[in-house]
Amino acid sequence: MTELKSYTLAILASLWVVVVAGLAILQPSALDVSTVTTILQFSTILGLVSLGQGVVILCGGAGIDLSVGGIASLTSVVAMQAAEAGMPLPLLPVICIVVGAGLGTFNGLLVTRLGLLPLIATLGTFYVYSGAAVATTGGAVLSGVPSYFIVWGRGVVSGLPLPFLTLTLPLFLLTAILLRFTAWGRWIYALGFNERSARLVGIPVDRVRLIAYGASGAFAGSAALVGLAWLGSARPNIGQNLELTSLTAALLGGIGIMGGRGGVIGILAAVLLLVTLQTGLLQLNVNSIWQVGIIGALLIIVLLADNLRFIRRST
Amino acid sequence: MTRPLIEARDISKRFGALQALADVDLDIREGEVLALVGDNGAGKSTLVKILSGAHAPSGGDLVMDGKPVEFASPQDSAAAGIATIFQELALSENLSIAENVFLGRELTQRVLGIPFLRHKAMKRRVGELLKELDAHISDPEVPVGSLSGGQRQAVAISRALNLNARLVIMDEPTAALAVAETRKVLQLIRNLADSGRAVILVSHNMHDVFEVGDRIAVFRRGRKIADKMRTETTPEEIVSFITGAHPDVRALEMQS
Repeated sequence: MTELKSYTLAILASLWVVVVAGLAILQPSALDVSTVTTILQFSTILGLVSLGQGVVILCGGAGIDLSVGGIASLTSVVAMQAAEAGMPLPLLPVICIVVGAGLGTFNGLLVTRLGLLPLIATLGTFYVYSGAAVATTGGAVLSGVPSYFIVWGRGVVSGLPLPFLTLTLPLFLLTAILLRFTAWGRWIYALGFNERSARLVGIPVDRVRLIAYGASGAFAGSAALVGLAWLGSARPNIGQNLELTSLTAALLGGIGIMGGRGGVIGILAAVLLLVTLQTGLLQLNVNSIWQVGIIGALLIIVLLADNLRFIRRST
Repeated sequence: MTRPLIEARDISKRFGALQALADVDLDIREGEVLALVGDNGAGKSTLVKILSGAHAPSGGDLVMDGKPVEFASPQDSAAAGIATIFQELALSENLSIAENVFLGRELTQRVLGIPFLRHKAMKRRVGELLKELDAHISDPEVPVGSLSGGQRQAVAISRALNLNARLVIMDEPTAALAVAETRKVLQLIRNLADSGRAVILVSHNMHDVFEVGDRIAVFRRGRKIADKMRTETTPEEIVSFITGAHPDVRALEMQS
C-alpha cells in the first residue's frame, strides 16, 4: 500500500516536472513567484474539496460525493445570509463548517440509513444544494465579508497564500496522519476494501461512512469559507465544476475508485499538478475547451499506467 | 474424564416448518479436535451458528464451564471465548497480517482521544502468535493479499488466538486448498488442540477428518446419529452413517 502511494507520487511528480519544463520552454516569463502564488491560491479550494471526495471514496461501498460543489455554493450563501440576518461576523468560519458538515451528513444519512446508492443520492443533493444556492439569492453575489477575513483570504507569506498554509496543508497532513497511524485509519482501509469482513470483525461500518460524508461536507464548507475570504463575497456558483474536478484529482492522486486503496498526499500532489497544468495552458493561451480535454487524457493515461503495473505484477 | 468446556443439551432449531436441528446433545472438550460431518443440510452449520451466536436455538441449553450460557449475538459468543473462522475468513487483503489480526481491536495509545496505533507491540505479538502456530510466515507486515490460502488460514487462526479463544470453530478450512497447504492447515489445527484449546472442524473431507479429528460426530437430517472416537471407527463406517446406509440409521429412521 505504501509502495503504491510512492509510485503514484513519483508519476505525479515527474508529470509535474514535465509540465513546468514545457512551460519554461514555451513561456519563460511565466516562471515567477507570482505564478506559484496563483497556483496555490487556486489549489486551496480544490484541495479541500478533493480531500473530502478522496476520503468518501476511500470508505468504499461505491462511495462518491457529487454534491461537494453544491455544498460549497450553498454554504457560502447561507453563511452570508446568516450574517445579513444579524449573526456576529466573527462566527463566519463556524457557520461555514457547521453548515457544510450538516449538508454532508445529510448525504451520509441518505447513503447509510436509506441505503441509496451514493452516486444517486449525491447527484440528487448536488442539484438540490446548488439549486437552492442560486434560488435563494436569485443568482446575485452577496457582499459584506469583513476585511479581517479578506486579509487572511488574500494574504501571502513568502509567496505562499495564507489559506493554503493555514487550512489546506494542515488538513491534508492531519488526515494523512489519521489514516496512517490510527485505528480509525485502519478501519477505513478495511471497510473500504472488504465491507463484509469489516462488519464481521465488528467495525461500525455505517457510522464510519456517515462521518466520512459529514467530513467531506465540512471540508467543502471550509472551502466555502476560503472562497468568501478570498473573493470578499458569497457567489452562488463558487462550487461550480468542483464535483468532477475533485473526482479527477482524487483518482489521479491514486485513490482506488472501489475504495480501500490510496492515500491523501497523492490527492494533494494531483491537485497541484492539475492546477499547474491549467495555469500553464492558460498562460500559453490554449483554448479552455482543449484544457478540459487535456486533463481528461491525463487522467486516463495515469490510471492506465497504474493498471499496467497491476497486470504486470499479477502475471 | 474432565468436565467438557461446552455441553449442548437437547438443542433444537426450527426455521418455520423446517426442523434444522432436533434434540442434539454434544460435548465439546478442551484439547480435542471434534469433527462435525454430514450431508449438506444435515444440521452441522446450524449448530455452528448457534455456538457462534449467529442463531438462537429454538430449544435446549448450552452449558459452558458448568454454567448455562446464552449467546444473543456473535459478540456474546466471542466474549465467551468462542472464535468462529468462516469459510470466507473475514480478512482484509489490503492490510498487513498484523493489521488483520488486530483489526477492530487494535492496540492503541490515546493522544487527545485519538487512538494511535502501537505498531511495534502489535507486530511483536503477531510474530509470537505465528511462531506459536509454527506457521512459517516470517514477516507480520506483509499484506494478506499476497498470501496463499493456507497462510491466510494461519492468519485467521492467529486472530482467534489473539482473542484468547478457548473454542475455535473452523468451517471447511481446507475446501479451497492444494494438498501441501491442506497438510499445513491440518497441522495448525492439531497444534491448536495440543495447546489445550477446543477445536470444532466442520468438513466434508473424510481424509482430513480422520487425519486430525479426535472425535467424530455425524449429523443427518437435523439429528446427531453417531459420536465416535476416531480410534473406534473407520471412514467406511462414518460414510455409511452419513449416507444412511448404516443399520443403526435405518433402524432409527424406521421408528420415526
